[in-house]
Amino acid sequence: MIEMENIQKEYVSGSVKTQVLKGVSFRVQAGEFVAIMGASGTGKSTLMNILGLLDKPTGGHYRLDGKDVVDLDDDALSHLRNHKIGFVFQQFHLLARTTALRNVMLPLIYADEYPNDALERAEKALMSVGLSDRMDYRPSQLSGGEQQRVAIARALITNPAIILADEPTGNLDSKSGAGVISVFQRLHREGRTIILITHDKVVAEHANRIVVLSDGAVVEDRSVAQPRNAATETPTLTGKESGQ
Amino acid sequence: MRASRIAKESARALAANKLRSFFMMAGTIVGIAALTVIMAIGKGTEKKVMKRVNAFGTHAIVVTAGGGKGFSPPQEGITTLRLEDADEVTTQIRGVDVVAPFAIRRGVPVKAGNNQVQTIVMAVGPEWHDASEWYAADGDLVSTEDIASMARVCLLGKLIAKDLFGEQNPIGEYIQIENVRFKVKGILQERGVSPMGDEFDRRLVIPLSTGLRRLFNQDYISNIRVKVKNSDQIAAIADEIRQLLHERHHIVPPKEDDFSVFSAADIAKMARGVSGTLTWLLGSLAALSLLVGGIVLMNILLISVGERVKEIGLRRAVGATQRDIFLQFLTESLAVTFSGMLLGGMLGWSVSIVLARVAEFPVVISWEPFALALGFAVAVGLFFGVQPARRAARLKPVDALR
Repeated sequence: MIEMENIQKEYVSGSVKTQVLKGVSFRVQAGEFVAIMGASGTGKSTLMNILGLLDKPTGGHYRLDGKDVVDLDDDALSHLRNHKIGFVFQQFHLLARTTALRNVMLPLIYADEYPNDALERAEKALMSVGLSDRMDYRPSQLSGGEQQRVAIARALITNPAIILADEPTGNLDSKSGAGVISVFQRLHREGRTIILITHDKVVAEHANRIVVLSDGAVVEDRSVAQPRNAATETPTLTGKESGQ
Repeated sequence: MRASRIAKESARALAANKLRSFFMMAGTIVGIAALTVIMAIGKGTEKKVMKRVNAFGTHAIVVTAGGGKGFSPPQEGITTLRLEDADEVTTQIRGVDVVAPFAIRRGVPVKAGNNQVQTIVMAVGPEWHDASEWYAADGDLVSTEDIASMARVCLLGKLIAKDLFGEQNPIGEYIQIENVRFKVKGILQERGVSPMGDEFDRRLVIPLSTGLRRLFNQDYISNIRVKVKNSDQIAAIADEIRQLLHERHHIVPPKEDDFSVFSAADIAKMARGVSGTLTWLLGSLAALSLLVGGIVLMNILLISVGERVKEIGLRRAVGATQRDIFLQFLTESLAVTFSGMLLGGMLGWSVSIVLARVAEFPVVISWEPFALALGFAVAVGLFFGVQPARRAARLKPVDALR
């Protein structure tokens, strides 16, 4: 599904060249739940931007679904982002003064064809993250955990090939963080491909595979025999979810 | 379809920020309101001017005995305007079609049976009918024979005929003008209100010779009405007449004129009065508001782009193309000026109606200002919206999300 081959990224500031990614290679198969882990400054965010087609590498090959995407133009990249990738950001990035339902429907506006059942799909997505009673709430009326789950519903709405989550628990307390991770684990069980970027080892251990990034290169790539189970860590949150 | 979805996003963004949206459209509202009022006043004024000019005669120049700045009735006791002056105008001035000298008296007592009124009596020659384009609705005009024989005949205006005779047909009946018996030979066409404000239809017309010798006992006249062939030359001909009369009356400055000359052009100028200045002022206000409003709009949009960088980044991340972002912001700008136009049009329309009612300003409401306003609104929205929209579209998603 994802093939990264010797991906490099170099920033030039004046006469100073900074190489952030020094040849990153790895593959992700469909249905995998991969955590990309690394301390800050190791090029995680840069890698995430390249993975999400928000930025272009300065070298290497990136094949998404077998198609080389490095040389695509801006419109083609926008199109791919819309129907291949679902983003979940650390800062949620929900539209203020806009209901949860409207936020979830946002990617459909930029779809090739607006589905007739857009509203039902958004409702279903919100239901699947346990927010069926929060559909008409605005972000300011929701807790951090709830906001991030709205963002996950938004990432699901176009039925993307990959869900790309960048420090999704970074702005949450541990309880809500566990709630969010448990949603990812369930999505993984349902067959979704998920890439989770984090600096937190404990968060990473919820994935089935961990790719460790250090100083712009992959230093470790291992599978996790017994991933942690977020659902059992937070009985209160999961209890609420199973009650839906 | 995609465009309409994006337009809806623009509408949602504006609705979510009502105060900001209002500030963005304030300039457009004031500008379009001013524009609407100007056009209503302009049209109303032109209508009033045309009415006045038509009442005066589009091809008419009137010489009046006595000086003075305004178009006023002849001054009593000025005896210098003579029939010979009228003859000289006929022979000396080119481009003149008809020259009609006449004498006018106000407050003349007129009686028929038991009905008595005071009215304006005009002593005119046969050419006066052509000069003033005022003929008989019924009966006969003042004729050359009437002048030669100093006939005691008269024509009545519609209203005075009613005052004196009621519903009875006055033609062939007799009336007393200052105790002289006159036979009614005709009824004048309806003419409405004179530029002086009195009813034309209460006037009474008698032959010039009869008036001068039998009734008023004077050898001077009070007016000369001139009809020119070509209305374009009216101001130049009026000047020539002025010059001619200066010579004939031996008037050299600083001696003041003992006559005044008014043309249809002067009447139009008077009727326009302050509305020209007002139109100019409001026009400047409209232009200034639209310009300042446009700049304010652009600045708020630019600030809004700055505030919404994250939103733009998110939209880009979930699939918006540069064009989508550009369209969204341009549509916001256009929607603001379009709404401003609607509100401004309504405001201007209300102000026009109030002006018409309260200030009795001549106002005509028509569709043209709204069409013009639409044009201006779209122009302002496009012109001042493109730059912020372009800036929003050019943001790199990776930078915008940071």
